[in-house]
Amino acid sequence: MSGNDSATPDAARDATSDATLDATDREGRNPLLSVRDLRVRFRTEEGVVRAVDGVSFDVYPGETVCLVGESGSGKTVTGEAITRLVKSPPGEIEGEVVFDGQNLSDLSEKQLRKIRGGRIGHIFQNPQNALNPVYTVGWQVAEAVRLHTDASRKEARERAIDLLDQVGIPEAAARYGDYPHEFSGGQKQRVVVAQALAANPDLLIADEPTTALDVTIQAQILRLLADLREEFGMAVLLVTHDLSVVAEVADRVVVVYAGKVMESGDVYNIFEDPAHPYTRALLDCLPGRGGETRGIPGRLPDPTNPPDGCRFHPRCPHALPECREGAQPPLYEVADDHEVSCVYYDGSHDPTAITGEASSRPSFPDGGGGGGVSDRANVRPDDSREDEDDE
Amino acid sequence: MYWYVARRLAWAFVATFIILTITFLLLEVTPDAQAAQLQFQAAQGGGSAEAAREAYETRRGLDAPLWERYSNYMINVFTLEWGWSDTRSQPVVEAILDAYPYSLMYGIPAVLISTVVGIAIGLYSATHQYTLADYAGTFVAFFGISIPNFWFGIILLLVFAVELGWVPVLFDPNVPVFSVANAKQLVLPVFVLTTAAIASEMRYARAEALEYVNAEFVKTAKAKGADGRRILTRHILRPALVPLSTILVGDLLGLILTTSYLVEVVFGIPGLGRLSLDAILNQDTALVLGTTFIPVLIAVIGNLLQDLAYTILDPRIDYGDR
Repeated sequence: MSGNDSATPDAARDATSDATLDATDREGRNPLLSVRDLRVRFRTEEGVVRAVDGVSFDVYPGETVCLVGESGSGKTVTGEAITRLVKSPPGEIEGEVVFDGQNLSDLSEKQLRKIRGGRIGHIFQNPQNALNPVYTVGWQVAEAVRLHTDASRKEARERAIDLLDQVGIPEAAARYGDYPHEFSGGQKQRVVVAQALAANPDLLIADEPTTALDVTIQAQILRLLADLREEFGMAVLLVTHDLSVVAEVADRVVVVYAGKVMESGDVYNIFEDPAHPYTRALLDCLPGRGGETRGIPGRLPDPTNPPDGCRFHPRCPHALPECREGAQPPLYEVADDHEVSCVYYDGSHDPTAITGEASSRPSFPDGGGGGGVSDRANVRPDDSREDEDDE
Repeated sequence: MYWYVARRLAWAFVATFIILTITFLLLEVTPDAQAAQLQFQAAQGGGSAEAAREAYETRRGLDAPLWERYSNYMINVFTLEWGWSDTRSQPVVEAILDAYPYSLMYGIPAVLISTVVGIAIGLYSATHQYTLADYAGTFVAFFGISIPNFWFGIILLLVFAVELGWVPVLFDPNVPVFSVANAKQLVLPVFVLTTAAIASEMRYARAEALEYVNAEFVKTAKAKGADGRRILTRHILRPALVPLSTILVGDLLGLILTTSYLVEVVFGIPGLGRLSLDAILNQDTALVLGTTFIPVLIAVIGNLLQDLAYTILDPRIDYGDR
């Protein structure tokens, strides 16, 4: 996991400019997916919502990257903007998305359709609604097969049965003709996974694939994804707010907040040495990490009018005057494959004010500790049914 | 499912029975215009009004007990013995058989065109919500709903028949059905009916499709790589057809019960609407009854077909054990 060779210590890179992560090799490979300065705006009656505001990250072949953040942080929109699934209008997508050397932003709808479902598979949050209620599940999986291959009806049917079998639908052939309402939530998600895998994609974008499921089923689906990743050698971009899921499956983590990348890096760096106050606050919400479990006081900023400076400063216990003005701080490199967007790491401040000792975790300015936490900010791994309204 | 179909069929029969019974009872309590006239004539001629009424009732079989008259009535309805039209001097069934082809001549094209075009515009509007085309579609819809049919028909006649002379002013019932002349004289009535019906079809189709345009499964289909047309026809139209199939019957009925009267009067088409209207104006009870049975039959059969369409269109509706 090492080897960002061109690393210049403390190199300040602008989060909104070209290179957050070097597009050079990691272990001698080129990134499969390289997102640069992705911006998604929605024109609404309340104003322009900047759901994603300059997000950059890379996904290398075969690895699992987790996009982490609270509800409404823009992670879902990021996942959908990659293959331009975001409805436009009202959505407007800017920035560069390079997939396997191809700039997806330059492709026509027709060329993009070949990528969607062909080389990039999608899984969405709620399996209850992800399948069309008036078609059999087999038909829907076979449709995915036929859209990307020249398979005849019969061949597509056989392939669909194989896929259903691979994702663990018992008696796949017999259940081919059943309708979605005859399946449980977990089984539906398996069918959705089967659809996404129909054309052997190189990248699977999974948007909260377990959020709407029971905890026991969550584990099964995660295991299934991990197995399939191994089997097919595909990369996975997992969008989630569930840090326990991240700890389990991620190779690398990108923490987003209010449409900006706060911190990104190797999963061990993020969990062992979280650098950004937001990441630390998120991790503090996890039970069983010592100390009492608490939420993050305050709420997400208004997406039509985000605060100046660091997006997180109104909720940050360490906020300095310079956090309140200008743009989001650039991403500073704190270690190999570990970058953080926080002024404490610009070289002129002392980051130990944030990282400190675990025992001397800072208290929050408004006194919000164990007590007055807002539900919305309460990011806990068992918050599995938390409402997502990333739109 | 077979059990469900059987039950629906049985229910259609029950509904028909109930409607016919209510019609019978209504007729029982309605004063008989002809009897009143005969009584009046008898009284004027110095005879006994009472005797005239009795003679009339005996002749018409009205002196039989209620139950017997009811069963006769029912048998007659089902054996198509719908009585004698005094004003037209022909059996009611014959009068209806003479009239209905003219209704079908403009009714079938109007229903087909308004259904297809209405749903098409509605779908387009839904997928292009808040664009210029959507606003144009909405305008057309409200125009069609708001404009009174009879007035619109008269204006069209004035412009295209009287001023421009492109179509005949008077409907000629004697031209062959499949001829240019017939097509020409049917253009305006079909157009008037279509503008009215398209509007409601389009609004319903738009609303139903909008429900699915943003559905999660439509996004899934897009993520699978389906193109716009496939998404529209397979993933949006198909689930939207379930509720849409229900308004078709209502639209048909509206067309036959109300609009056809106006259109047939304005354009002088001797169809069922005119027949029924004349019967009402002339107090030809048997003919009124006969022309009322037609929409009743359409309503019952239409609802039956609609319920059966559900079972095919929406697999989530399970009728198996109920």
